[in-house]
Amino acid sequence: MKLLTHNLLSSHVRGVGPRGFPLRLQATEVRINPVEFNPDFVARMIPKVEWAALLEAADTLHLIEVPKEPIEGYEHDEEFLRKMHHILLEVEVLEGTLQCPESGRLFPISRGIPNMLLSDEETET
Amino acid sequence: MLKKLKSAERLFLLIKKQLPLNVSSGSKGKIFNEMQRLINDDPESWLKAISIWKNLELDAKKEKLSQKDANPLKRKMGENDVIVAKKLETEQMHEIRENKECQLEKQIEAAALEQGHRITKRQEFLEEDLQKDAVGSRTHSDLTFRVSCRCSGAIAKTFTAQEVGRVFGIALMKQFGWKADLRNPNLEVFIHLSDIYSVVGIPMFRVPLASRAYIKTAGLRSTTAWAMACLAEIKAGAFVLDPMCGLGTILLEAAKEWPDVYYVGADVSDSQLLGACDNLKAAGLKDKIELIKASVTELPLPSESVDTIISDIPFGKKFKLGEDIKSILQEMERVLHIGGTAVLLLSEDHCRRLRDHGGTSIPLNCREGHAGEPGSEECLNPEGKTGISDPVSPSFAASNQDSLDRMPPFGSLVPVECYKVSLGKTDAFMCKYKKLHSPGP
Repeated sequence: MKLLTHNLLSSHVRGVGPRGFPLRLQATEVRINPVEFNPDFVARMIPKVEWAALLEAADTLHLIEVPKEPIEGYEHDEEFLRKMHHILLEVEVLEGTLQCPESGRLFPISRGIPNMLLSDEETET
Repeated sequence: MLKKLKSAERLFLLIKKQLPLNVSSGSKGKIFNEMQRLINDDPESWLKAISIWKNLELDAKKEKLSQKDANPLKRKMGENDVIVAKKLETEQMHEIRENKECQLEKQIEAAALEQGHRITKRQEFLEEDLQKDAVGSRTHSDLTFRVSCRCSGAIAKTFTAQEVGRVFGIALMKQFGWKADLRNPNLEVFIHLSDIYSVVGIPMFRVPLASRAYIKTAGLRSTTAWAMACLAEIKAGAFVLDPMCGLGTILLEAAKEWPDVYYVGADVSDSQLLGACDNLKAAGLKDKIELIKASVTELPLPSESVDTIISDIPFGKKFKLGEDIKSILQEMERVLHIGGTAVLLLSEDHCRRLRDHGGTSIPLNCREGHAGEPGSEECLNPEGKTGISDPVSPSFAASNQDSLDRMPPFGSLVPVECYKVSLGKTDAFMCKYKKLHSPGP
């Protein structure tokens, strides 16, 4: 699971609503995957990023050199884009958990795939 | 390079296409004569076709398989191929415009531009070659062949395919001196006699184009998957979701064609996700497509966070559909951005249930005079350009408007295009929805 994905996932436990985001990340196995750098693509993703969530996750993974926010003119700043590219796309969480900040519910990550399935009780109205 | 046609099923090099044989003209003998004329009347076009075929075969062997392109109709039409063989001829481009969906035109143009070089060279080469080949000077008499014959309509009632095949086979042997080889021929001649046309052609590949080099295990047929991705208006930098991705076929086809996009696939089944993972690895697309285990009725995504949804909704035969179609659409509607697109493959059953659920359809004012006009969503979406400029071909428009009329809007999801597709044994509907406004509280 890449950090770009983590940035989108939210807990869907009943009653939690928007407080189900962001999920707290805990990783037991992380891998760095080289991914071809595509500045256009990264630039397009920047406006979609929830920075607080990203910073929190990056912190848990002890990532260094994490920009605190998008800088002015980031579209043309290659250094900035490369850093973001690395953080969003090259860091892969293979094993760990995601925790709903409101309900405490844990969602396991296994082989890079987060399991977000809820049981029947959790989804019942 | 011919393998770049993405939603064509099979490809043929056209030798002859003409009006259907007149079965009522009397004796079988007379009709057999007519059939033989298909072969004997114009040996030159046969020889030219064979030269082209030989050259294309050589090219195919030299090139690696890389893929792109094409048109969503599952028709074994020779038209595709003559055009492919001589891509730059503008008259044929116009023909395409009239007969087929615009995707083909765009793709051929795009491919033509990309490979303009190579094609020009090849065309020059072909033309030179053909000039050298004076009529009859190269009868390609070293070829072995086999005739594959299909009859439908009135002809099928009078003749069996074997009879017809035999007549053609003998005529070919007499005309060109080729030898018949039923097991492993160099050349396969494909003949289709129907009530609409008589077509003779040479198939370009042994295997249907739908079997892709980059997909290990296909779920949905790749041609249909590609066509759905085409309909979805995927833009660079978009977030595309397949909430019932199965083996990931749709995402794979989309990611191959539109790489600067963020793709996520979700499924409830571990085995499917594993298969999808395998497919991604085999295709080298692990970096472009993310997988999550989630249910389509409880998507772990914030509302209005997805730009595009493309999904093949399980038909209930192979998979057990626990949830019903309404809850599925509801959740899709929730996560979709306003102005976002959803392209869904629905069974007749699904459509029926949606019709029963949904109230009245939005009146489609631009229904009349639809022939050749841009898609109807321009009438429905006053917010502005949807980016589609595909004219729907006249023959298509009629039958699709029918399906479209019957599909009601689902909350804020408004159907804008609907196509019936054949999946072999069953039929399905490829429905494109647009989210026009937020659903009410």
